[in-house]
Parts: sequence; structure tokens; C-alpha cells
Amino acid sequence: MEFIGEHTLIGNLGQAFTSIAFAASLLAAFSFYKSSINESLKSTWLPMARGAFFAHGISILGVVSCMFVMIYNHYFEYQYVWQHSSLALPTHYMISCFWEGQEGSFLLWIFWNIILGSLLIKRAKSWEPTVLTIVSIIQVFLVSMILGIYVFGLKIGSSPFDLIRNLEENIGLPWTEMSNYLQVVPQFLDGRGLNPLLQNYWMVIHPPVLFLGFALTMIPFTYAIAGLWKKQYSEWVIEALPWTYAGIMVLGTGILMGGAWAYEALSFGGFWAWDPVENSSLVPWIILVAAAHLMLIYKAKKVALPTTIALTLLAFILIIYSTYLTRSGILGDTSVHAFAGGLASQLLVYLLTFTVATLVLFFVRLKNIPTTQKDDKVSSREFWMFIASMILFISAFQITWFTSLPVINKVFGTQMAPPLDAIALYNSWQTPLALLIVILVGITQYLTYTSTNLRKFLRQIAFSLVLSGVLTLLIAYTVNMWHVLYFSLLWATVFAAISNFEYWRKILKGTWNHSGASVAHIGFALVIMGALLSNANKNVISSNDGFIAKDFPSNENILLELGDTTLMGNYYVHYKSDTLLGINKTYEVEYFSLNDEKEYTYEFTLHPFIQLNEIMGNVAEPATKHFALYDVYTHLTYADTDVHDTSNPYHHESLINIKQGDSVIYNQHFLYLDSLMVNANTDVGSEKALDVMLIAALRMQNMQGEFSSTQSIYAVKNNTAQSFPGFIEEDGLKYKFLFDQVNAEAGSIQIKAYEHIDNEKPFIVMKAIIFPYINVLWIGMLLMAIGTFIAMIQLFKNTKTVVN
Amino acid sequence: MKKTEIILILLVALIIGVIMSLTFNASTYITFADAEKQMGKEFTVIGELTKKSEILFEPRLNMLTFFAEDSLNNERKVYYYDSKPQDFERSEKITMTGFATDSGFVARTILMKCPSKYNEQQYINQDSLIRPTY
Repeated sequence: MEFIGEHTLIGNLGQAFTSIAFAASLLAAFSFYKSSINESLKSTWLPMARGAFFAHGISILGVVSCMFVMIYNHYFEYQYVWQHSSLALPTHYMISCFWEGQEGSFLLWIFWNIILGSLLIKRAKSWEPTVLTIVSIIQVFLVSMILGIYVFGLKIGSSPFDLIRNLEENIGLPWTEMSNYLQVVPQFLDGRGLNPLLQNYWMVIHPPVLFLGFALTMIPFTYAIAGLWKKQYSEWVIEALPWTYAGIMVLGTGILMGGAWAYEALSFGGFWAWDPVENSSLVPWIILVAAAHLMLIYKAKKVALPTTIALTLLAFILIIYSTYLTRSGILGDTSVHAFAGGLASQLLVYLLTFTVATLVLFFVRLKNIPTTQKDDKVSSREFWMFIASMILFISAFQITWFTSLPVINKVFGTQMAPPLDAIALYNSWQTPLALLIVILVGITQYLTYTSTNLRKFLRQIAFSLVLSGVLTLLIAYTVNMWHVLYFSLLWATVFAAISNFEYWRKILKGTWNHSGASVAHIGFALVIMGALLSNANKNVISSNDGFIAKDFPSNENILLELGDTTLMGNYYVHYKSDTLLGINKTYEVEYFSLNDEKEYTYEFTLHPFIQLNEIMGNVAEPATKHFALYDVYTHLTYADTDVHDTSNPYHHESLINIKQGDSVIYNQHFLYLDSLMVNANTDVGSEKALDVMLIAALRMQNMQGEFSSTQSIYAVKNNTAQSFPGFIEEDGLKYKFLFDQVNAEAGSIQIKAYEHIDNEKPFIVMKAIIFPYINVLWIGMLLMAIGTFIAMIQLFKNTKTVVN
Repeated sequence: MKKTEIILILLVALIIGVIMSLTFNASTYITFADAEKQMGKEFTVIGELTKKSEILFEPRLNMLTFFAEDSLNNERKVYYYDSKPQDFERSEKITMTGFATDSGFVARTILMKCPSKYNEQQYINQDSLIRPTY
């Protein structure tokens, strides 16, 4: 059967490219492996391997192009396009469609691996065959995730080129038998669209950066595996080091960009929520940092090689584990933004294969890995760097273990629920660990390898110690932070920032080439400081006093009526207007301050908005006013987004049963039925014998005792009843009364009363939080990235000098 | 004893600490009936929205009420004093942390299992698709 309006060519082409990419990665893996065996094979197999890898790369570019054509031209017959895009989607967000779905985000990862693989082909020299064998094997696994073919009845991967009518769950449905389903089935005229949460500029840049970070962790892994495999236990370190730092920089930036997105676009109320998805990308970063520092001490002192190798391997295994956690659907009960499942078993196979293969290789080789017999001195730099790495490991372990709760439940069949207050629990573990780490960040650069002259060491850090003590007291006094743990952490961050700056200024004499470590460490200290200051002292200024139970605030939200001004924190907030612009309903909220002379001064205006999305639900986007020293973060928790029918403005129907002479309470009024007049045709013989007219005289009394009245008529003519409403307008409030029916037995009548929509002023409910000194965190993030970048450049230069 | 060995022992001790602390801190998923045995104490209950029941959001009170059914099919009214989460009506499963009271379960946090492919399938399989409009 011919299906009208389908564009199957592009899908077939895309599927073909996927298959070629898969086959080429297999061929590349095999040929790189062959060329790694010995020199004579290398000359024949290496060109072949490179060619296969090149073909693999070109095919993946073909896949990406096909997908872009499909999305750009709105081919909704394709599941991926239908599910992730829509006609109304602006072009710049079409890029985000690529990584909204599983298939697209795997593609992004594959794409970065190809770029890095090509760089390695250019740079890796003698390591090329072994390293690229592993890269190609990883590509085989990744491409298999988007293959979407059936092998012996098992579905391998999920292809972005699947037609909706060909999906397993749709086969046999009546509409799949219709040649014109695309024209007649209303659901296919437009796609479901991009999740409104992802329609944000951070979502255009955060995923590519994060996935580049994921891809970069692969390189130290491949080098470490190659080192174990070829028994070059120590040579790989110097090669892998600069790439490790590249990974730290990019992955770290990607994670914090995710935090920035959460802060700017989500209503988390902060930049970090210890959500499993956030955690599972943070953990590999922490391990990578630990591994990088171990590599540095190995490079300098040839110690702790087995641990170095183990942590380097672990970082990448954790990336795969994180992929499993976030994409298998296992986190469903504990995370807000995990992907929906579908590829669970395949991911599990992927995870287990890499974990088991890595473990086997590591333990087979372990006894041959050179170790040092002499013990490190307690005053040596390597000793404390090792300790710091172990603390990082503990920190990562705690996060992973707690995040893995659903996995633990599944494996052991337990029914453990996540801790009731997960954030507090994570903080209670991570804060002391952060304290230790930050102190070590502050002192370790001053220690020397092998052993340190204690007197010299103390003399060098004395200035930083004193200055940080004074500064911390000043800061703690300003922000009122005297909790012992918080105060200590605050001091540690101030100390680490100063001491690293002093190290760079005095000991490195302010040279830029070697400033990487100092700058990155200052950045790290500032990130922790910013997180501490902004979180420990965050102030929900919209909260009010209502409590449901002890420690259970009912309301962290403030209610604002249109045109109203209310006190919120130190501000008077005024809900001025709202406007509908495209899909965004924007609310204009002005902030005023009151000075001593009782004069209001205009401060600023915020425009929180609601993105209207019929299919996925409306999404409230926060609005934040950034000041140098603090942010005022607001987001709407409720706003009326309904479009009112102005042709029928009366709503909120109430049914009132009332007898003549009685009164009822209606909407803060007394309502009287003063009289009920009957106007009937009494001429029994006439053909209009049954015509009757009832007139209800209603009177309403407001709280001031003032009366207003109206009449509603109920008429029966030619056997049809008709009702004529009466209206009352008093003090700007409008009501409608409709004589609905007569209850002859009860001797009463039923009135339907309505309120005019203008009686109720529109209102919004808003949450507002002040995050003090959050800019410290962003500045820290920037410094950390810059510092790591400098370190990376320096390390790349080192590898060059070694090779030459 | 070598210092590395001491460090290793400390490490293992800490790791055991982490593992233990989770088991002590983690509650287990329970049912409404269990939560009612200790009213006012916080628990985590996984339930499903009973679709027939009305989901009521009172913005002026900042209160969401709905009916949920736990794993033993016991239905309770749930009060949630915050705004209604995006796509709440279409959730499959709701994880609620809160405490039981005489009049219902008061949830402090709720987490929904989000619309997945399952829901999209329902979306395509709606009546209009089975009986298309020609």
C-alpha cells in the first residue's frame, strides 16, 4: 500500500547511514586491533582502520543531516520528529530537539567521540592502534543504541528513523491501514512539540557541553586500558593527563551549566537539588578530579599507580553507569527529570560488559603494576594529595550509593524509600567532606614532594591564615553565619582562595604558564563559598506565617491580586498587568521600597511568565533580578491562564432553594424572596389554559445593610418553559439570578445565582527567594574552567616535549 | 603498619558508615494504612491517582487535593499545600512524602512518574484515531 504524504526516502537513507556507521565502527575496531598486534601488521591494517573510522564519521554526519532535514521539514510520520518537535517551534530550538530524545542524545555523544577519535588519530602516535581500538569498540556499543533493528526477535537500539505506524505497539491498529492517515488523523497534523522546560537557551548549549565532557572521560579510560593491555603501566599517564584536565574542565562546566539552567528556567528554587540526574553526572567528575591528582603525584613521585589506574577506569565506568541510571527508567520514582525507559536491558548489558571487562583486565594485571615499597612521609605533598583524592572518592561514593537506591532495591529486592529529606542528608555528608577537601586545597600546594620543611611551610602560609581568619570573621559578621560547621567551611574557602592566590603571586612569581592549579583551586573554593553563602542564607521572602503542623509551613507563597500592592520581605510588590505574547503569558510585577520618610521608591520590575502548552501542561518560568551581591528569584506557583468567554461573563453557578418570605445567605449577602407573583390564564376552556408566568421579586442586602433588588421571570407558554434572568449590580459587583424551577411539593422555588467574572480580580501566587552572594559561585565556576584550561594547555605542551 | 594500610582501613570504615547510614535513614515505601498507625510521622507512600476523583486546586489557599490509591488499593484523600505540578493529571504513579491525619494524607513533597511513551500511546489511541474523521 502507498501511504500518502510520507517521506520514506530520507528515513531509509538515515537508516542506511546508521547501518554503515555501525559496520564501519566494527571494521575500525577490528582493524585497529589487528594493527596493534605488531609492526608488520600495522602498515597494512592501520590505513584500513583509519579509513573505516573516517567512513564511520562521515556516516554519522549523514545520520545527523537526515535527522535535521526531517525535523526542519516537519516529517511527523517519524516517531522522533512527531514526539519532539512541532510546527510552531522556532528554528533555534530545533537544535534542542536533537537531544531531547534518547536517540538524539546518543547521537550527540557518538558525534563528540568521532571528533575526539579523529584528534587521537592525529596526536596519539604509537598509542593510536590500541587507543583507537577501544574508542571504536565504544562506538560500536553507542551506535547499536540507535540501530533499531531486530536480531532473533530482540530489538537492538531505538532508531530515530522509525515511522510511527511501524512501531511495535501500533502494528495492527486501524489507522495504520489507512493510506491517508497523515491527512485525516488530527494527531499527525502537528508534532507533540518540545517540552517547554527545554525551550530555553541553556538547553541549547548545556547538553552539547555535558556530552563533550562525557566523551572526554573516555580518553583517559582508553589510555589506561591501553596501558594495562600493552603492559605500559606508567607510560600512559603522561599521555592521558592533559585529556583528563580537558574532561574536568568541560564536564565541570557542563554540570554547572545544568545548574544554571535549573536556576534560570526550572522552578527547583535553586541551582542544585541533589537530583539523581544531577548526581550521576557529578560523581564521574569528582572521580576524574581525584584520578587527575593521582596522575600528577604519579608523574612526580611514581607512587600509588594501582589506585591511579583504578580511579581513571572508574570515572568512565561511572559515566556508563550514569547513562544507565538516567536512561533506563529505573530512577522513575526518585527523579524529576530522568528519561523514560525503553533501552534498559541493552544499557545493562553495555554497563556490565564494560565493568566486567575492565575489572578482569585490571585484576589480571594488578600484580604486575609497579608499586613503591617505601612509605610516603606525612609531611610530603604526595601523601596529602593522596588523602584528598581518597576524600573525593568517599564523597563520590556517598552520592552514588544514595542515588543508586532504586538499583539497590531492584538487586536485593528491598523496598527502601529515598530519605525523607534527601537534600539535608546529602548536605550533612558532603559539607564535612567539602570542609576537609577545601582545607587541603588551601595547604597542599605549599607542601613539597618527598618531605616538607615544617617551619618554612608555616612561614609561607602564616599570612594567608591570619588574613583569612580576619576576613572570615568580617564575612560571618555581615551575613550572620555562626553555625560551627558553616563557619568552618566559610573560613576554609576564604583561606583556600587566599592561599592559592598567594602561592601564585609569591612562589610562582605571578607567571601565567603555571597558574592553572592556583586559578582552578581559587575557583573551586569560590564555588563552594558561593554555594554555602547562597544556600545556607537563602531567604524565602514570600513566606508567611501559616502552618499546618509543626515544622510544616503551609505557605512559602504570596498571593497578589491585580493592581494590589503587598509587603514581601523588604519590598512592596505590585502586580501591575499581564500580557499574552505568543505562547507566553507574562506577568508584570513591580518592586518598591519604602524609605524612612514613608515614600515609595520604584526599584525594579520582574516579568515571570507562563509558557502555555496544551499538550504537556503549562510551565511557569522564573524571573530573577540579579544584583552584584544577591539575586531576587521569583516564580509563579499559580496564575489564572484561562481565557474567559466574554460573551457569557457569568459563572460560578450556585443553586438556591427559597420559599416566599424567606432569606438565605448568598455570597456575603442576605437574599430575600419578597414575593412570588403568579400570572396564569384562568380561562380553562382556552387553548392557552396552561400558560403561566411566575415573577420572583428578589432583594439582596449587603453587609452595610443596603438593599438592591431585581425580578426574575419564569414563563410557560405553549408548553415550553422559559426563564428571564434578573440582574443586580451593587458596589461594582455584578450578579445574575435565574428562576430555574418550581418545587411544588416543597413550596419553594429554585434560583440559579451567578457571579460576573469581573467580580473576582485576577491574582497570581508567587514564590520569591533571595539568594545572597550567588555571583561568587558563578565567578568561581568561571575561574575553575579558566584554571583547568591553563593547566591543560601546559600539560599538552609537556607531552610534546616528552615525545620529541 | 604502613600508612597506606591505615588509610585503607579508615576508607573502608567510612564506606561502611555510608552504607549503614543509608539503611538507617531510608524509610521503606509503605501504605496509607501503615502511615495511619503513626499519625503525624513522616513516611513515603507510592500511590496512583484515582482518575475518577476530582483534582481540586484552590489557588487562594494554595492547596491541592486529590484522591490516591496505594498498592493495596486503599483510597485516601491527599492534601498538598503547594501549587499543582506540571502535567499532574497525566501522572501514572505519585511518590508522596508526608504524614497521615484523620481527614487524609498530608503530603509535603510529591514526585510524579512522568508521562512516558505509555501516555503518548494513549494519546494516539484516542477514539478519534480509531474512528477517524473523514
